[in-house]
Amino acid sequence: MSNSNNPDKGTRNLVIGMVAFIVLVGAVFSFISNKSSSTAKVPAAVSATDGYGIVLNANATPKIDVYVDYQCPICKNFEIINGGYLAEIAASGKAKIVYHPMTFIGAESILAANAAACAADEGKFLDMNIALFQNQSGTENSGLWTGDYMKRLGNSIGLKSAAFEKCVTDGTYVDWTKNVADASAKANVNGTPTVKVNGKDLDRNTEYMDPVKFKAALATGGVK
Amino acid sequence: MLSKFYKVQPWLTLLSRLVLGGVLLAAGALKVGNPQKSAMAVRAYEILPINIANFLGYVLPWMEVGVGTLLIIGVGVKISAAIGGFTMFVFIIAISQAWARGLSIDCGCFGGGGAVEPGETKYLSEILRDIGLTMLGIYLYRFPKGRFGLDK
Repeated sequence: MSNSNNPDKGTRNLVIGMVAFIVLVGAVFSFISNKSSSTAKVPAAVSATDGYGIVLNANATPKIDVYVDYQCPICKNFEIINGGYLAEIAASGKAKIVYHPMTFIGAESILAANAAACAADEGKFLDMNIALFQNQSGTENSGLWTGDYMKRLGNSIGLKSAAFEKCVTDGTYVDWTKNVADASAKANVNGTPTVKVNGKDLDRNTEYMDPVKFKAALATGGVK
Repeated sequence: MLSKFYKVQPWLTLLSRLVLGGVLLAAGALKVGNPQKSAMAVRAYEILPINIANFLGYVLPWMEVGVGTLLIIGVGVKISAAIGGFTMFVFIIAISQAWARGLSIDCGCFGGGGAVEPGETKYLSEILRDIGLTMLGIYLYRFPKGRFGLDK
């Protein structure tokens, strides 16, 4: 008996084959499009050994890692509550701070992370960091953030150089954002904001949104 | 009684296929566009080694799309239902352990996922939904033949 006496068998196998093919191609595409690339251009302040984050006070100890997505509303709250203290640490050199701008919320997060990296090259990362959170749209990928918007935002904090504008327009550091994402994934960062002191996560239940406990947690980690 | 069941069974199979398949297809489709987030959602369960969690985060949404599609068009229903139902069963275990360990995560079932604020978790409703879907999977495995399917 051959299969030909069942006319549906061929169709059925064809459909299964097609679906399996789409699944396979899709999965492979997901892998390739998110792979970090060793040839990506990275900002001067970035260190591959620090998870491709933007490093402030490279030689200080202890080390504070801050993972944010510029479109994440809780990250904005975190910035409002603790950003001032982190800026103070950055200015005084009391600790090494590594910022990891993540981009899992989507296209406008990539625009923002790229602009922040462009600002880092001009020595204005923290200013851009604050400006981005202050101008966060209420909705994810709402269309508010564009290349032009990033240029205007940069201008408003004194970034007027042709190099900065070119960096934003060209999306110079777009590929770098994949490296940050990949390194963050390997560092088991499962949400934003995530703060690690000397590699150890702060307690999400208590230490993120309370400025007193946040300070205390950093002090325990050795921030004097 | 039994003959009555045999009358409605093909329709129940169709309904189960559309519900389980629809949920899987929607869940997968909402996630395929953002593998970073999907991988993050899997990592947040803190069960699997990071590499495997990331791998699963990339592959699982596409598998859901595939299995969901097969269930909706009614091809390979038995095996698709087994895979879909088993996946839901695994989700129940994963969500339960997150709940029991006091993690604050979103299940990441339909996009989203990862750590959330304590108090924003919805473990009970997520588990109940997945129990229902697992049961549909079991039903389809037992009665794969129904209305409007390509399977003969």
